[in-house]
Amino acid sequence: MKIPFYSLLLVLGLAACNTAMDEAPPGPQFDGMAYRPIYATAQEQKDIKSLPARPLRNPGKIYLLGSFLFINEMGSGVHIINNSDPSHPENLAFVSIPGNYDIAVKGQWLYADNGTDLVVFDISDPTKVQIAKRVEKAIPLSKYPPFQNTYFECVDDTKGVVVGWEKVAMSVRPNCYR
Amino acid sequence: MKRFIRSLYTIVLAGVVPLVMWRCEMAGSADVGPGATGVGGSMARFAITDNTLYIVTHNSLDVYDISSPSAPTRKGKAELGMGIETIFPYQKNLFVGANDGMYIFDSRQPQSPVLLSKYRHVMSCDPVVVQGSFAYVTLRGGAACRQWNNMSSLDVVDVSNPANPQLLNTQPLETPYGLGVDGNKLFVCEGEKGLKVFDITNPAVPTQTQFLTNVPSYDVIPNKNTLIVTGKNGLYQYRYDSQTTGTSLELLSKIPVE
Repeated sequence: MKIPFYSLLLVLGLAACNTAMDEAPPGPQFDGMAYRPIYATAQEQKDIKSLPARPLRNPGKIYLLGSFLFINEMGSGVHIINNSDPSHPENLAFVSIPGNYDIAVKGQWLYADNGTDLVVFDISDPTKVQIAKRVEKAIPLSKYPPFQNTYFECVDDTKGVVVGWEKVAMSVRPNCYR
Repeated sequence: MKRFIRSLYTIVLAGVVPLVMWRCEMAGSADVGPGATGVGGSMARFAITDNTLYIVTHNSLDVYDISSPSAPTRKGKAELGMGIETIFPYQKNLFVGANDGMYIFDSRQPQSPVLLSKYRHVMSCDPVVVQGSFAYVTLRGGAACRQWNNMSSLDVVDVSNPANPQLLNTQPLETPYGLGVDGNKLFVCEGEKGLKVFDITNPAVPTQTQFLTNVPSYDVIPNKNTLIVTGKNGLYQYRYDSQTTGTSLELLSKIPVE
């Protein structure tokens, strides 16, 4: 009966870890602010618009092609900038794309994530961007916000597709963190 | 009235001519040919090389053929572990940053990348950039899995043999996000703490030369002596000199957030 003794120790050890996880999570300190998923219906997710230039609010990733600079607006689209003179960048247009965080460009074609879909845009006229192709369900649903060391409301798949995250005050610490 | 119309005409013309010229530029400029691909920052999950679009999802590397650019077709999918975050193509390799390490793929056959190695490190978040035989990786601590080790670091990894990467140097950082490398300069985003510039005349040992604490930074692209930085205050562009050591950044422009 030597083996069960060590097994018991192992089980106890694991149980201790679990308890520690439940009661005092090794996550960050909770300061009353946490991220909440923004859900969209399939219809809302596909609501893409070619719009006039708008100011930056939450700039994310960037992509450079020749004199054009593309700035992701976290969770909501892409700013197109004429950067032929880096001393005087000119904000040309905005493409509103729900759930967008990533971009890449080849020639006149912009590739962007739109929630769980991959969408190809013809940007030969940045002020009148056209959808050329949609690849549905190309990108698995993101279960967490693009930030570390933070609490967030766990994603509930039944509520729709997560197209963004908003930082809000919460009276109770949510169960998810990263 | 005539004068008004004339000035209106001038204004309209002044607006239209550059627009037309710019459209021509877009179509004809040498560096933006019809098939030209650009460059992303180190935080990217999307990357394009020639006719191939790579997408890293949180658990796989997906490969799309874009030789017909408006009709991407999936060519393959490499299932990886969890926590995949970034992709950086460099010459004949793809460097994929994950929470527990850096995957290196051989991409000589771009649409059938072959996994060569995985450089393992402590759990963290780790964008990677590469120049020559040196990979620069930032490891951001403080993730849930690292409660016993909250350290962040900048690691230099020798990737001259991509099948057998070797750690050369490590030094502490604060809250690193994206990074970029060009010539003698290495730029590291330190989130809300600011932007750091390192001299890498000795590529194995980055030496910090500047720390802009008033420039919160998330991602960078150094390109032809222009540094593009995004962060929560907006987009900043700087002039730098990739060849000299120790010279400081010169601010060119800023697009502030609203």
